[in-house]
Amino acid sequence: MSTPLTTILRSDEFSCPSCVVKIEKALKALPGVAEAKVHFNTGRIEVAHDPAAAPVEALVSAVRSAGYGARPAAF
Amino acid sequence: MTPTILAPLQNPATRRKWLTIISGALIALGLIALYGFGLRGLWAGAMLAAAFVAGSDIAWRAVQALRIRHFSIELLVTVAAIGALFIGEYWESAAVTFLFMLGAWLEARTLRQTRGALADLLKAAPEVATVIRDGQPVEVPASSVQLGETVLVRAGSRIPVDGEVTEGNAAVSEAAITGEPIPAEKAPGSHVHAGTIAENGVLRIRATGIGSDTTLARIIRRVEEAQEERAPSQRMIERFAQWYTPAIMVLAFGAWAVTQDLRLALTLLVVACPGALVISTPVSIVAGIGRAARSGILIKGGQHLESAGRIDMLALDKTGTLTEGRPSLVEVLPLAGVDRNELLHWTAIAESGSDHPLGRPIVAAGRAAGEIPAPEAVEEVAGMGLVVSHEGRQVTAGNRRLFDTLGIAFDAEAEAALAGVLERGRTPIIVALDGRIAGIFGLSDQPRASAAPAMARLREIGVSRIAMLTGDQPQPARAIAAELGIDEVHAGLMPEDKLALIRAFQAEGRHVAMIGDGINDAPALAAADTSIAMGAAGSDVAIETADIALMADDLEKLPEAVAISRATLRNMRQNLVIALLTVVGLLAGVFSGDVHMASGMLIHQLSVLVVIANAMRLLRTPRPPGGGKGRPVPADSTLAPAAA
Repeated sequence: MSTPLTTILRSDEFSCPSCVVKIEKALKALPGVAEAKVHFNTGRIEVAHDPAAAPVEALVSAVRSAGYGARPAAF
Repeated sequence: MTPTILAPLQNPATRRKWLTIISGALIALGLIALYGFGLRGLWAGAMLAAAFVAGSDIAWRAVQALRIRHFSIELLVTVAAIGALFIGEYWESAAVTFLFMLGAWLEARTLRQTRGALADLLKAAPEVATVIRDGQPVEVPASSVQLGETVLVRAGSRIPVDGEVTEGNAAVSEAAITGEPIPAEKAPGSHVHAGTIAENGVLRIRATGIGSDTTLARIIRRVEEAQEERAPSQRMIERFAQWYTPAIMVLAFGAWAVTQDLRLALTLLVVACPGALVISTPVSIVAGIGRAARSGILIKGGQHLESAGRIDMLALDKTGTLTEGRPSLVEVLPLAGVDRNELLHWTAIAESGSDHPLGRPIVAAGRAAGEIPAPEAVEEVAGMGLVVSHEGRQVTAGNRRLFDTLGIAFDAEAEAALAGVLERGRTPIIVALDGRIAGIFGLSDQPRASAAPAMARLREIGVSRIAMLTGDQPQPARAIAAELGIDEVHAGLMPEDKLALIRAFQAEGRHVAMIGDGINDAPALAAADTSIAMGAAGSDVAIETADIALMADDLEKLPEAVAISRATLRNMRQNLVIALLTVVGLLAGVFSGDVHMASGMLIHQLSVLVVIANAMRLLRTPRPPGGGKGRPVPADSTLAPAAA
């Protein structure tokens, strides 16, 4: 297991806070994701993950399959 | 594994936009067919197609959510739309799905704008930096600059790191951080922040902070944490919303079981998402905090915003807050038999052992006359002064209370000299050499140019009581207070006196904000309903601890901060009223039979848009808020801005 990493994704497509739980569940369902927190107010998504099992692209596509575009961000 | 499968679906936002447009066009076609040409068959076909086009994305998302065992709003809409098709309501089904998609698209667009204030800050961080490596300028990603490396910044470009200027001069616009439109002059030795712009001149900067370890990144992180922190009212609504949706679903099922009216039940499903309600407070807070950040005002969360919006009394520290905090030495009065130079020399040695603003001009004057060695032993007495030992001599410097505490007596000459200094409105520092009073220094501190207009503006916007709390003597404190139009002065205070006063104001039912700096204000700041720090751009401690941090050293940001907080609080209440009226109105309408599926969805989506649009007004709050003809920008930063 490689070192866990916290990645920040940003999305500006959230329109209703109901999507928060949905995206969090979708991310946590990925193998290698330890924790996922979605902030509706700012559109920020914090993911603690193992980059070997769950690379950043996998996180982005998990959010996309929940119906929202997101990009990785530096902070 | 998934990217290849998902590639044709491309960007979800773009896909939804096109599905919405196609579905809208089909609905238009259907309406023209029916009302223009009476073609009932074409109408039904077009509506069915429209419902499928718009509904496909909703249903797909509902299924995605179901797969991770999440019960989504999309599921409710899907059930309602399919149900409508079954009972032959093609128009209702098409309208519900189309309006749901259109509303979500518009909501995401407008929400992006309310979050936009922060996007400006994020954009302020440059992505590349020019560093000097082996004597050559090299362009590298800003995050890969090493600490201590020299960064080259050309005229007109953004500074990519926090650092210290080693070479060059430039006017640097710090608006991104402090909200100050007037550029600051930077020379070798000055500190610069990432995200600020060198307007002219070339700077070489030694990097001291990079990437997420810059003031800009810390501000962004703080603003976001503030926006994410739930205000008390938001938490209450979220609890309500948690029960609302399932309750409506049970109600829909119950209504269908009792009345056998499928239409009524499906309409209830459509209005089950309390969209405007759950979004009402967060949008106001995000917009309000974002608007404040644009002016260099950091409000640390919805809770502090609600508190700051209720401020009706302000307590201020004097030295360094209302005044420049750079007192000048205006008189040195040695008592009989004391040499003026000796008095100055020894007092400067004593004061060099502390960094008190009142000591600095004495140290400077002493240094101008000769070498000032560092004292051997320093004992500071908070709020009173200090006792210093050096080369066998003892120097005591401070206010009257220090001498009363130590039991050093005043003779008639000392009393007269002290009274004279106080009468002239100056702050005295009394000095004793080896336990005998040797002389008195008189200092005076200029009030900030921004202080008087800021006090006037605060009163104008309803901060009805303004009190000065100072450790200084009553006479000089009153002199400054009178100049600034402050009528309540509490002078000669110890840190715990300030704390007790804040508590007393609160006991009178006041909602008190306290602005101050320094250790002696810390207890009072902690007790105040809202604590405010000023000039926070240079101090991480201030950014961390204050409820509201004003990045610039500008008192006029204070009324702006209060006004933005008030406006946001008002905005939040308006949004709550709009949202609650919508919920009540929709439910009443559904049961009276006036609201059907399409109109229910329309009203619901409109109410969400109204709430967002209302919050967006906060972003347009003019500066200075509520009045004035824009912001007076004096040509020279030392000039007082024209009175508002």
